[in-house]
Amino acid sequence: MALAEICGFKNFDSCNNGILDTNIAKSNFNFTNNLELAVPPYSNPAHMLAQLNKDETGREIKIKFDHGTTTLGFQYQGGVVLAVDSRATGGSFIGSQTMKKIVEINDFLLGTLAGGAADCVYWDRVLAKQCRMYELRNRERISVAAASKLMANMVYNYKGMGLSMGMMLAGWDKRGPQLYYVDSEGTRTPGKVFSVGSGSVYAFGVLDSGYKWDLTDEEAYELGRRSIYHATHRDAYSGGIVRVYHMKSTGWVHIDNNDCMDLHYKYKEVKDTAENEII
Amino acid sequence: MSILSYNGSAMVAMKGKNCVAIATDKRFGIQAQTISMDFPKVFQMGPHLFIGLPGLATDTQTVMEKLRFRKNLYELKENRHITPTVFASLVSNMLYEKRFGPFFVEPVIAGLDSKTGEPFVCNMDLIGCPNAPEDFVVGGTASAQLYGMCESLWEPDLGPDDLFETISQALINAFDRDAISGWGATVYIIEKDKITTKELKTRMD
Amino acid sequence: MASVASPSFPDYSTQAPTQHMFSPYADNGGSVVAIAGDDFVIIGADTRLSAGFSIYTREQNKLFRLTDNTVLGCAGCWCDTLTLTRILKARMQMYEQEHNKTMSTTAAAQMLSTMLYYKRFFPYYISNILVGLDTEGKGCVYSYDPIGHCERASYRAGGSAGALLQPLLDNQIGLKNMQNVTNKTVSLDRALAVVKDVFISAAERDIYTGDKIMIMVITKNGIKEDSFDLRKD
Repeated sequence: MALAEICGFKNFDSCNNGILDTNIAKSNFNFTNNLELAVPPYSNPAHMLAQLNKDETGREIKIKFDHGTTTLGFQYQGGVVLAVDSRATGGSFIGSQTMKKIVEINDFLLGTLAGGAADCVYWDRVLAKQCRMYELRNRERISVAAASKLMANMVYNYKGMGLSMGMMLAGWDKRGPQLYYVDSEGTRTPGKVFSVGSGSVYAFGVLDSGYKWDLTDEEAYELGRRSIYHATHRDAYSGGIVRVYHMKSTGWVHIDNNDCMDLHYKYKEVKDTAENEII
Repeated sequence: MSILSYNGSAMVAMKGKNCVAIATDKRFGIQAQTISMDFPKVFQMGPHLFIGLPGLATDTQTVMEKLRFRKNLYELKENRHITPTVFASLVSNMLYEKRFGPFFVEPVIAGLDSKTGEPFVCNMDLIGCPNAPEDFVVGGTASAQLYGMCESLWEPDLGPDDLFETISQALINAFDRDAISGWGATVYIIEKDKITTKELKTRMD
Repeated sequence: MASVASPSFPDYSTQAPTQHMFSPYADNGGSVVAIAGDDFVIIGADTRLSAGFSIYTREQNKLFRLTDNTVLGCAGCWCDTLTLTRILKARMQMYEQEHNKTMSTTAAAQMLSTMLYYKRFFPYYISNILVGLDTEGKGCVYSYDPIGHCERASYRAGGSAGALLQPLLDNQIGLKNMQNVTNKTVSLDRALAVVKDVFISAAERDIYTGDKIMIMVITKNGIKEDSFDLRKD
């Protein structure tokens, strides 16, 4: 029995349980530790995953992950406005036109997602849990700076393994409204105006030309909405619905959702009548 | 990414009762970036004959010019309009000439035979293998979606109005699930005595 | 690094180092379609299991009963499906024994997402659709990408004919691009008819879909099974 004691064996029951437990737990260890994902049977997943594209009959295997994408966020005198589209594409197939690209982490913290949808949603969920734990331990809400750093540090551990995410964290804490950009490369930076995703170049065009600190709430919503709409119009991988959120001192508010088709014909009508008046 | 999906397109042609229809999207883009929303991809090649050329946009235009040349030459030589079946052979031959360095287009042909008025639809792969079925043909990046739509919406002996409704619904719903085609659509309904062109109101994202 | 002569002339090949690729995945085809209504949800999957141009079996059920009101439909790599469902069932049993109640559909949906993401760097090659009744008794459909991005919808097509069928469901169930339509809710009979129709269409054009469909209808009275023959060529 001495050997058994050294090995940590208490009795047969716990030993049996242990085996059953680890067997199933090993297949989803991230239930126990959210940060720990399965180790792949090759060294460089970012590279290897692209190589595993044939099955044994030579047929193409296409593991197409849902991808997001146009998101934007800016700070102004009234807080932070976030606006996003809602299209998810796998290859050129549109998987969804109604995806939620703003994650409500808690009442004072919002995250936007661009890049790999599963990556963003999973890590946002882990972050939400950690923020809640922080709140319970410290009896105060986590600052946006701290939350974004948690996020950046988590994904930095997987750097180079093929995670793909570009997110903005918006919140309101003791130091006022905050906006951070965090991505899967480990970048983390505060800022006033951000746009992330394949349509961001188009969104920036509209956003930068209309942006000023003293916007009213309505103007700010309209600027966000319009920027996203123009991005969806020109970018094939953005579209669906434009969602606008506002981070206020009292927490976030969901402003509205607008279908891109309705927005297009609304803006077109305004443009057409304006042109007719000039003539 | 395949060169055939560099620009993006969606096209479909259907047979009806004494009529045919061909419908196309209007996008010209370079991968994700939409450049134009008014790009012609369907061309008239005779009083009752249309050809659509989905695929690489530069080849769409080149092939269209080459076909027009060959068709004009045929008309001058023979002093009559080209029938859809003959035209399909012409296209097929021309594409096969470039068997080892093909044009990246997958033509869709729709027309009525000038004598009998018999409807004709046909599509080809990029090296000219013709396929002329009894119901409908599709082409472009949204072809999987179009097959699904047409397979259940199409029925035999549709009149021109029903055919228009069917082909429009098939095309719009198909390219609404394809990121790189859409942005407006045009439908041509070809009947013995008239050709109707209709622009469809679609999503612009 | 590949063999010097082309593979079509084996006689002329020389002793060069051959690179062997690790190919752990197989595409065994299959399609799944699900439609949710106010007080029911219906899921159908074809029963053909194939690899390339050969058919392994014509009667492989791809629907898995997880609880009395939750069903999972899987299409894609069959070996991954077997592993995933085995672990999923074990996990659900553990939940039941720990909490002394069966898992709700929404909880199962979230758990599946987390389990799929665990294999982020060596994914399960499966397109999953999970259906069931939520806590209010409403039908719900959750669809997943291979690494666990999950979205709730009211109808969804997945698997090898997913791209063919999804626009059709958009049109027939989602009433997209239809003008002057008011009736938004779908009845059970209509949903059943649409599922059968779309599978007939899929069997025409997708060689990996055919033979038969298994349908499960989930209502508050439990799960009812049904099947329907498709073309077998």
